Amino acid sequence: MNRLFALRNHEAGSIVGQALISLWALSLCCSVGAFAQKPAPTVNANALFRVEVTHLLGLPNTKSNCNGTLSIQDKVLQFQQKGKPGAQVSMASIRNLFLGEESKQVGGLPMKLGKAAAPYGGGRVVSLFAHKKYDTLTLEYVDSDGGVHGAIFQLPKGQGEMLKDELLARGVPWGVSPDSGGDQPTKSTAEVTRENK
Amino acid sequence: MKTSKRKLWFIWAAAIVAMVVPGQVLSQTAAVKSSNGSGGSAPQWTVQVEKVDSGHLDLAHSFQLAIYENLLEELNKTKKFKAVLREGDRKASEVPSLLLLKTTVVKYTPGSETRRAVTTVSGATKLTVRTQLLTRGGKIVVDRTVNGNVRFFGSNLRATHNLARNIASAIKKANVATVQASYRDTQPPNLNADGAQ
Repeated sequence: MNRLFALRNHEAGSIVGQALISLWALSLCCSVGAFAQKPAPTVNANALFRVEVTHLLGLPNTKSNCNGTLSIQDKVLQFQQKGKPGAQVSMASIRNLFLGEESKQVGGLPMKLGKAAAPYGGGRVVSLFAHKKYDTLTLEYVDSDGGVHGAIFQLPKGQGEMLKDELLARGVPWGVSPDSGGDQPTKSTAEVTRENK
Repeated sequence: MKTSKRKLWFIWAAAIVAMVVPGQVLSQTAAVKSSNGSGGSAPQWTVQVEKVDSGHLDLAHSFQLAIYENLLEELNKTKKFKAVLREGDRKASEVPSLLLLKTTVVKYTPGSETRRAVTTVSGATKLTVRTQLLTRGGKIVVDRTVNGNVRFFGSNLRATHNLARNIASAIKKANVATVQASYRDTQPPNLNADGAQ
């Protein structure tokens, strides 16, 4: 009888222990899940956002391959060169946004000439290391007549994602393919990434 | 005395003939040229450029929009068209003599600027497109397959610039008389060649 009682006591203790362990594991899982969830980005639509970019092509009255500042404020995207009037695009007119990446040789023409002048193919070895990765941001927008425009910007690596997030937070559609009818946002196809291979 | 007078008269007559005849011949040639050529008197068409169709190829959006933008710029440079309109432009509906330019990517080889710089012989970015100039009724007026490459110097996007230049050049070389004839075939009978009622 005593033995039976002891056995029952032992079983009850193990059940309580198991329940406690389960409870602890459950609470741990919940807390980990809570930590993993990022808070939704809170962007003030009127706050000024600026980033240094290179305008590759597309904006009206702006030279191709020129550096400047891309800023977003009050539902307007503006590209401003130093000492020149800026080009503006209304956020409401942006229909699509695509992000990509590209690798380019650095140094421009002086570097090119230097590499060409280097003896014993030294320039080629330099080329092997003298490249840098960039993000490219492609905007598709419409003008007042409904005509489709495209603008391409080159940003330092990593800043493309920031700019994309900023634009998305302000209501710009992301990579909506025309076939999807605008309902299903589809991620943009990978841009030229063969440089990485 | 008599012979010298006759000589003088003969020289005077010859001088008049020499002055008048070449002028008449030249004016005739100019008139022929102006009637045959596609210069000032030829009716000018308005072209609407449609966005590039990448077909089944995985062409980056930046490339598609770069071809589109470069094409608009290069077609403007040719001065063959009264106006170059963008896709979706509402003004197109008011234009009587409108041609549509469709571009479909047939082949695309993504290159690498670094590989070009290191090896010289590999890493070329190649684009092949089929470009069609159509009337509103869908009749094909010009149909060409055009290439655009970047083999040695320049970024990958430069291939789009070269391609657009080649397309504009192909359209420029296309027989304008054929374009006019084809266009006339598609016009309602109450419209003349200029499209004016």
